[in-house]
Amino acid sequence: MRTWVRRGGLSTLVFLLPLLVIFGVFSWLPIVRAAVMSVQQTNLVTAPKFVGLENFQSVLADPLFWTAVRNTGVFALIALVFGYPIPLVVAVLMGEVRRFRGLLSAIAYLPVVVPPVVAVLMWKFFYDARPDGVFNTILGWVGLGPYRWLQSATTAMPSLVLEATWAAAGGTVIIYLAALIGVPAELYDAADVDGASIWQKIWHVTLPQLRGVLLVTLILQIIGTSQVFLEPFLFTGGGPANSTLTVLLLIYNYAFGSSLGGDYGAATALSLMLAVFLAALSAVYFWLTRSWSTS
Amino acid sequence: MSTPTSIRPVVPAGPQTVAVEPAPRQPARWSVRWARRRADDQPPRGIVSDAERRTPSVRVALQLIHATLLALLLVIGLGPILWLVKASISTTQDTLRSPMALFPSGVDWANLATAWTRVHIDLHFANSMIIASGSWLVQLVVATTGGYALSILRPRYGPVLYWLVLSTLFVPAVVLLVPLYLTVLDPPLLGVSLINTFWAVWLPAGANAFNVLLTKRFFDNLPQEIFDAARIDGAGPYRIFWSVLLPMSRPILGVVSVFAFIAAWKDFLWPLLVLPNPDVQPLSVRLPTLARSTELDVLLAALTISALIPMVLFLVFQRTFLRSAGLSGAIKG
Amino acid sequence: MRSIRKAATAVSAVLIAAGLLAACSTSPGQPDAGGKTAITVVSLKPGSEQSAFDAFENQVKQFEAANPDIDVTSQEYEWTGPTFTAQLAGGTLPTVFTVPFTDGKSLIERGQLADLSQYVRAFGYADKFNPTVLRSGQSADGGIFGVPTAAYGVGLHYNRTLFKQAGLDPDKPPATWDEVRSYAKQIAERTGQAGYAQMTQENTGGWMLTSLTYALGGRMQVANGDKVEATIDNPGAREALTRLREMRWQDNSMGSNFLYDWGSINQEFAAGRIGMIMAGSDIYESLVQQNNIKPADYGLAVLPLAPGGSAGLLGGGTLAAVNVKASPKQQAAAAKWIDFYYMSKFLKQDAAVLDAKTLSESKQPVGLPKLPIFDKATLDQYNQWIKPYVNVPLSQMRSFNEGIFDQELAGEPTAHTQEMYAVLDTVVQAVLTDPGANIDQLLSTADSDVQAILDRG
Repeated sequence: MRTWVRRGGLSTLVFLLPLLVIFGVFSWLPIVRAAVMSVQQTNLVTAPKFVGLENFQSVLADPLFWTAVRNTGVFALIALVFGYPIPLVVAVLMGEVRRFRGLLSAIAYLPVVVPPVVAVLMWKFFYDARPDGVFNTILGWVGLGPYRWLQSATTAMPSLVLEATWAAAGGTVIIYLAALIGVPAELYDAADVDGASIWQKIWHVTLPQLRGVLLVTLILQIIGTSQVFLEPFLFTGGGPANSTLTVLLLIYNYAFGSSLGGDYGAATALSLMLAVFLAALSAVYFWLTRSWSTS
Repeated sequence: MSTPTSIRPVVPAGPQTVAVEPAPRQPARWSVRWARRRADDQPPRGIVSDAERRTPSVRVALQLIHATLLALLLVIGLGPILWLVKASISTTQDTLRSPMALFPSGVDWANLATAWTRVHIDLHFANSMIIASGSWLVQLVVATTGGYALSILRPRYGPVLYWLVLSTLFVPAVVLLVPLYLTVLDPPLLGVSLINTFWAVWLPAGANAFNVLLTKRFFDNLPQEIFDAARIDGAGPYRIFWSVLLPMSRPILGVVSVFAFIAAWKDFLWPLLVLPNPDVQPLSVRLPTLARSTELDVLLAALTISALIPMVLFLVFQRTFLRSAGLSGAIKG
Repeated sequence: MRSIRKAATAVSAVLIAAGLLAACSTSPGQPDAGGKTAITVVSLKPGSEQSAFDAFENQVKQFEAANPDIDVTSQEYEWTGPTFTAQLAGGTLPTVFTVPFTDGKSLIERGQLADLSQYVRAFGYADKFNPTVLRSGQSADGGIFGVPTAAYGVGLHYNRTLFKQAGLDPDKPPATWDEVRSYAKQIAERTGQAGYAQMTQENTGGWMLTSLTYALGGRMQVANGDKVEATIDNPGAREALTRLREMRWQDNSMGSNFLYDWGSINQEFAAGRIGMIMAGSDIYESLVQQNNIKPADYGLAVLPLAPGGSAGLLGGGTLAAVNVKASPKQQAAAAKWIDFYYMSKFLKQDAAVLDAKTLSESKQPVGLPKLPIFDKATLDQYNQWIKPYVNVPLSQMRSFNEGIFDQELAGEPTAHTQEMYAVLDTVVQAVLTDPGANIDQLLSTADSDVQAILDRG
């Protein structure tokens, strides 16, 4: 014991104390608790009861579960269509700007620093479905609309994605921009020597060099969009007619949606199912970044 | 983990992390590879070669593209924010009847004052600041002490512990929503519920494996000789931590700070759950409630104030922000 | 060694700072602070006018002056499902809080409310309550756990200014649902504002659909011995949805927002952008306190009921309850507060006058139409007492005040009410946002979904 202290064992432990306490109480313990709760029936008032896989079964039997999964999938898909190529194009173009690049990236990044709640409440007003609404006014100038935006089951989800993309695309642009600068100049020089056109250079040099980052942002985006909550919660509350009910919103509704005590078992069961999906993605992601670090 | 809503960066984005190689002799200049290049302000070259740039057709096309890009970025990136500023000093009637017109019935400055005082944006702004600062401090303490112990002091059980920390990266924040809520309700040994106290937001924010990973990797790359030399000079582990390690870590601390601050400022679901008392709610939680009971012009003024403050911070600390964003960019999916 | 001492100093400094901060953050309802009994009570809804809060604080001072051993802290409060669950689970509910009639029974069964029987009996009005009203706050064996403080019936609220602008007589509100439809159309066409709007979110959609269904002669649940049967697929509900569909899609008289909850529809109505809404008869107070409505705009009429015996007016109300986790001393103090703030004004002249005077001095609404929680005579007596202080435009609420006592009051559905409302939210939203919505199919799906919830018990 004394040698342990003399060798610095105690001081090491002192330094580890914050990490151990914080992770122990606010990460490891809740993770264990989640696993336990998913096989229990509990409303925090009566004593918890072991129910086996019943929570998982009741979630799978809930028609809203499939609605939520489908909606989340749709959100992720539209988010990819909007949010994946556009930042890439912007970044590639921006990479060729020689003056005011700092200004451009600052403007592109600006929406990211607007607090998400502010952005959503602001866009909620933009989506005003009256002909006098902000977007309907603007589109009216070119003879389009008026559209119903959040007030229709078909356009509500794309409207949510549009705002989410606006709020997040700047961050992706900056990642791509960082990666673009990392492309070795010699590769372009060599391509020039071979007489490659600008398009050929983009296709054969830039994009292959960005492959890694593109894959990473792809996975990050899927991980992010499968946990979308704020937009449906604040824009539509999951409506109209559950068309924007997402998995996370459903978890929230299970746990906190009824005024008479939540179904915490179902909430954690659904969380765990989502977790397995996300952990698989994270593992792919981790493995990818690992393999690049070593190569 | 950070807090349940923020989509936390899982692991720093690929290739850049390879290049995290601290330069101890110039502690102020942290040399992420691209950041160093960026500091020279001009990349060596891009896709278009100098020869191509001299071709008239390419030059015109480039200029055209740049003009369009600038215009689009201004309209899309800045436009909504400028509109919000305009609406915050317009009357409700103007904003509703002709949202795109400029002040048809004059400027209404009173909205901003009303929002600040009567709607108590001042109070909630202060709460946001307190929450962000506390979360920042907790994250910094955990990440630096933990990183130091794992990287420099290296106890025998270190690898296992590090693995335990990293494994939490694979557990999405949402899983912890309910159990963490219950933990905060009745934290072990404490016997007092943390609900409605800032601790309920501060402490869980510290359990962020990403921060530990970042700092440990950074410390790993510091030259071991410096610590050996300090030890020979008789410095103990505390002194080395305080006087040797921390001064060299400023760059990584800057990155962690930006992440911590942005995440805390943006967080919504977690503070919504653990701070039901309006007096301690941050802006993000309070604004949606106010949206349902506040006249439109005052609400838009409140939104403007809430948006402008972080934007000003961003413009002041632009470099650090963009560098952090480039490093991970995964603050929000 | 020096470094260790330094570190120890640093650590203790951090701990002290932490302790100080912990001391600063208050947790509500700390028992028995400083020899006094401390209780936390709910005050007004978030975003209310400062003058309304001032009036409330004046009443707190009056109470504390009369009860020097009780220390009252107030907390703003609006009952919504999610926040209430979180507070209930978190044990952060104030000592005194309010819940809707619909939740009383379940909360009592689950042992989440304190037993107030002895206090209410001591106050002397335990047996004076209107028994149907009191029932929602009673346990199976008749113990009083929730004190009814207010009862409402659903009414038709309308904007007199928009009526005038549309060429309608603001003193002649619509008396049938056909008239509601044609008035709404006229308002929409002539003023450009929504003629009629309906709540659809956070269970209010189901609540209002149920109201409309009642008014058209339908019911959503039937008790069948021990079992409760969902009867959502009924002709009244079908007619209700069909009427909404016609107003929305044929007349286009319902504006453009179909995602309203209680707060946001009040806000739009008070701002003069909606002609008519259906809501509890008691919203005027909140329209004044939270939404700054112009009193001259406001009109309140009874809800048109379809002819025939089966039509009924949906009514509900608010229970004041006490946190079961409060100490016995706190429970006693809390009961005193309930008596002081909510109840005694209905029974004692001096209390009624003091209450009315305090409110009117802060320009808060006094004299709103109320439904009796005791009996009609008691309510009439109360209205007599406060007459000098009445400051709300009663003449603009005449239709309601005169008609309400002739209407057949029907209580809200009792089994899994809020969960059923949540299912019905979806139905209303579908009809209002999808022109091709199949009403029959929506109702039968909702019926089986709700039946499944009811069967789960």
